[in-house]
Amino acid sequence: MKKLVFLALVLSLFIVDTSDARKKKKKYEVIDVTNGGSITGTIKAASKVDDPVMKIETKKPDEVEFCGTEFQSNMYIISPDLGVKNVVVALLKVKQGKAMPEKDYVINNLKCQFEPLVGLAFKGNNFVIKNSDALFHNTNLGIQLKGGKKRAVYNLALPNLNQVLKKKIKTKGVHSIKCDAHPWMRAYVYSSDSPYAALTDDSGKFEITDIPAGTYKVLIWHEGFGEVKQEITVEAGQATTLDHTFSK
Amino acid sequence: MHQKQRKGFFVLSLLSLPILLIMTVMLTGAENAYGGNANGEEIYKINCAVCHGVKGDSKGEVCYNTNVEKSGKEITTYSRDFTLGVFKFRTTATGCLPDENDLKRIISTGIPKSFMPSFNDISPEEKMALIEYVESFSERWEEEDPCDVITTYMPNWVGKSYSVEKGKKIYQDMKCWECHGDKGDGAGPKADKLKDDWGHKMVPFDFTSGALKRGTAPEDIYITFTTGLDGTGMPSYEDTLGEDDRWHLVSYTLKLMGR
Ligand code: HEC
Ligand code: HEC
Repeated sequence: MKKLVFLALVLSLFIVDTSDARKKKKKYEVIDVTNGGSITGTIKAASKVDDPVMKIETKKPDEVEFCGTEFQSNMYIISPDLGVKNVVVALLKVKQGKAMPEKDYVINNLKCQFEPLVGLAFKGNNFVIKNSDALFHNTNLGIQLKGGKKRAVYNLALPNLNQVLKKKIKTKGVHSIKCDAHPWMRAYVYSSDSPYAALTDDSGKFEITDIPAGTYKVLIWHEGFGEVKQEITVEAGQATTLDHTFSK
Repeated sequence: MHQKQRKGFFVLSLLSLPILLIMTVMLTGAENAYGGNANGEEIYKINCAVCHGVKGDSKGEVCYNTNVEKSGKEITTYSRDFTLGVFKFRTTATGCLPDENDLKRIISTGIPKSFMPSFNDISPEEKMALIEYVESFSERWEEEDPCDVITTYMPNWVGKSYSVEKGKKIYQDMKCWECHGDKGDGAGPKADKLKDDWGHKMVPFDFTSGALKRGTAPEDIYITFTTGLDGTGMPSYEDTLGEDDRWHLVSYTLKLMGR
């Protein structure tokens, strides 16, 4: 009997432990970051890549006129010294650090395109989805999973001009946005569960600041070049450099 | 679901060790968390794996099937990949996991139009074990909190001619016709280019055929455009239309289906 009671106790401990572990996995803890480190760097392309022009095909006559027939995709915005714009650089599985930004993420349907093309959202805020066209749009937003699969997060109808919908940002990772009514429309948003994410500027540069010292996994993602993950160690009060060169 | 059970279990263990003991024996003895002896994995392998794949990745021997619609259009339907954690026929908002009852229902009724058979002979206990097994294919079920179920109360004026008239205008204004066609025959200007989230061609529903996937009750139609069918192009209108307007739209679509 004693043995059994002991077994039960051990078991109950195990049960408490697993449910606790699950909770911990979810939660980001805000702490005072003093003497944090930073990561700066430049993301480059090995060589110039032509930015494709994309076609617009629609059977609705009013859309042919309003949306045009083709557009510059802006997939590869590369500076003269090969810096790549719109690359997401994000630390993964950060357990604690500075406060999350309080900022909603606006997805605008404008002239038959999404605006912006690539952006950063922070979990807990809202997606603010706007229709600035006098056309039916729908915003079909989903997480990109391994192997090119996609998981729907929201598919919302926006039939009217100036319609605005607000939806909680609940999921993390690279999300793609499509409009089923206009198959050429596309956008990407990286939703971060920590404040430590950045987007490269026109010259391919980025900066992430106030990071508690430690070793992190970092994601570098670009629509056309794809993604790489690597490890990086950040030291207190120091700037660590993270450069990467993508090749096609 | 697991977690709730475990928590309850823990509280019990604090109250009294003997109870914990008995429960421990019960839990380890049983094949699943519902205290039954049904083996979800076995039931799945016998009934579902042929289409949904042994690994739940939709790579079974019969992973797709092609039908010809009333309009002459071909529809190829692929069995669902459970590792995605995406479900079309929910009573929960867009992007949510389905309610347990949604899954129970799908298993009982099947989806005749999509060649998924009905499994009426699976007992309630077996069904719970089976659902638990289906849920094990995606980590979503562990990670996410369940969403609220959208309840429906059909007003008694649904189907009345003034409601049909209102619904007709809403069908226009909401641009249902862009996909489903002016006459509801599925031949809208966007119909040809639709794809689902996994790259397969999608065909919008032809109301004049009346062959619905979810079910033919007015409530089923109401829920379809309220929640959207995740993974397909069919969006959610929950935030765009008030409840009354949604019921007017049901009136009109019933008319389109000749009901
Ligand atoms: C003959 C093939 C076939 C068999 C057998 C089959 N299914 Fe399906 N199932 C399908 C197809 C096809 C779909 C996708 C339907 C669609 O998207 O229109 C589907 C979809 C589903 C869905 C998703 C419903 C939703 O809301 O999106 C569930 C859940 C499901 N099946 C469960 C099961 C279970 C459990 C079994 C075994 C008891 C089973 N299926 C057996 C073909 C099958
Ligand atoms: C962007 C295109 C699009 C728009 C706009 C759209 N739908 Fe759909 N709808 C679809 C597609 C695609 C399907 C088929 C999904 C499937 O078969 O899995 C569908 C299916 C349906 C179904 C059938 C569900 C079933 O059980 O088989 C109904 C009912 C429906 N839509 C109603 C509406 C209504 C009402 C509106 C307007 C408020 C609307 N849809 C707007 C694309 C659209």
